[in-house]
Amino acid sequence: MRRGFAPWLAAAALALATGCSTPAVNRGSPAQARLGDAEGRAAALARSGDYAGAARYYGEALRIATSLENAEAIAANAINLSIVNQWLGRDAQARAALAAVLDAPRVNFSERRKIQAELRRAILELAGGNLGAAAVWAGEAERRCAQTSCEYDSTLLNVRAQIELESGRPAEAARLAQAALERSRGEAGRAEAANALRILGRSRIAAGEPNAALEPLRAALDIDRELGDPRKILADLAELARASAAAGDADGAHRYQERSVAVSRAMSDAKSGAEMEVLLRR
Amino acid sequence: MSKALPPGRFSRLVLKVNVFLLIALVLVGGFMGLVAYKQGWLVHQSPLHFVTPNALGINKGMPVKLHGFTIGQVSELKLASGGVDVQLSIVSEYLERIPQGSYARHARESGVIGTAVIDIVPGKSTLALAEGALINFEPARGVSEIIDDFRRQAVPAFNEIKQAMSQVARSGDDITKILAALRQEVEQLPATHRAVRELVQQTTKATVELNRQAGATLGATERAAATVEQAVPALSGKIATSLESIDAAATQLKKTGEEAQATLKSARPLLDQGETAAREAGDVLTAAKRVWPLSDSFKDSTDGMLPIDSFEAQGKGRGR
Repeated sequence: MRRGFAPWLAAAALALATGCSTPAVNRGSPAQARLGDAEGRAAALARSGDYAGAARYYGEALRIATSLENAEAIAANAINLSIVNQWLGRDAQARAALAAVLDAPRVNFSERRKIQAELRRAILELAGGNLGAAAVWAGEAERRCAQTSCEYDSTLLNVRAQIELESGRPAEAARLAQAALERSRGEAGRAEAANALRILGRSRIAAGEPNAALEPLRAALDIDRELGDPRKILADLAELARASAAAGDADGAHRYQERSVAVSRAMSDAKSGAEMEVLLRR
Repeated sequence: MSKALPPGRFSRLVLKVNVFLLIALVLVGGFMGLVAYKQGWLVHQSPLHFVTPNALGINKGMPVKLHGFTIGQVSELKLASGGVDVQLSIVSEYLERIPQGSYARHARESGVIGTAVIDIVPGKSTLALAEGALINFEPARGVSEIIDDFRRQAVPAFNEIKQAMSQVARSGDDITKILAALRQEVEQLPATHRAVRELVQQTTKATVELNRQAGATLGATERAAATVEQAVPALSGKIATSLESIDAAATQLKKTGEEAQATLKSARPLLDQGETAAREAGDVLTAAKRVWPLSDSFKDSTDGMLPIDSFEAQGKGRGR
């Protein structure tokens, strides 16, 4: 009896010792502890792909941060809430979340948070097709970015390049994308470098230079595969298929389309998959 | 016909009777004094009273306690308007210890069972109660009230336990598996312990070896320092000679410069190789950053922010 009980005692002691060895985290007041907990849960859910859950916890964190008048946390959670809401297709809520920063002139947000919020608003407006509003918000963010040493210069250039591209000015879009590519620094800038290469490729296709578009698009695909973002891989393959088709390489275009379909099916993106299947049947 | 009594038998009879009666009186008086002392009749008592709508359980002579110490008793119960007026006799010297705002309550010495007493709960005032003051009274809770209270507090707890037990029952298989796995891990602890001990022993050996090598290195350094110390005087002597040969060296310098140019040309491939090596080292570092145990150490500081990506601007239909 005693012998059988000993391992359990040892396990309990081990568990206790493990618990004791964990350093105590000073989280301040209960409300601050709840804020940290909500932010942690939201980040974990966002990483695991549960965006609805992440939005719920970012909303809760935003509410607690507002009750604590913690400007930094209000801004961070509002921006994160805006991002997950956009991922969920809730553009109106995504825009409303940013109002906590953009429509609160009395709160003393840092310049960095203001740039992030304005940039996010520009991205949202551009995604919704509101090119004028997107240009205004991107301009605001760019003006603020120029006054400080901000890390979003390449992102801003890419947004502006997309505005130009959507406005039918591919040459200007290509110039801005090239500038964004040059300013994309370090590991963190690789995603924006790939975005810049993709926009460059799209600009060249739009300018009637499909052959010249292939190289940057392939480079973007390489980076996106390394980064492991299927949405971007799908976008690169789709653009490569377009460029190959425009360049008269039907076989190449077909191969890219097949790959797109495979990626799209794997992503369970029925809509994009159906679009590609229509293209394949042509 | 009168018969004479024997002389001396009833002599001083009256005196004897009187002494007997006196002793009896003293004994009775002493007994009564003892009783009076025990009953506190000789101590000055101060009255207090309270009115209760229900005097059930309150009896005359019931002790009155303060902090568990007897300070008086219930002296009288009178029917009054609105209930029963209960008179308390408090030993006067203790009255000053009962502050204003105190109230009486019906309590039992050992919780639910035990002797019933009137317990004085002291108030917070610094002034003492006046003699004959009316105080508040808190009636005792009945057993049914206590059970109701217990039930009210216990029911939520029982519900939670019931819920937890049903969850445990639902996940019974998982718990069994977890416990089995835990037991297996615990059984492997001795082997782990042995391995750790071996590791510690090896580390100790390595440390000893390192110490030995460090000692040897230190010796060599000391020898080198001694050599330098010896060489310095000789060197200073030679400086004068060297100055003389500077002129000759200047000529030689020109020649050396030309040779250095040629050497740089030949070193160019080496520099290129170094650059390649540096780039490869960068690649290795980048790869290392992606390896799970190291990745957390190299993460960019994003202060909990999700990425702000210009890709999101590409419109609808590109959701994650």
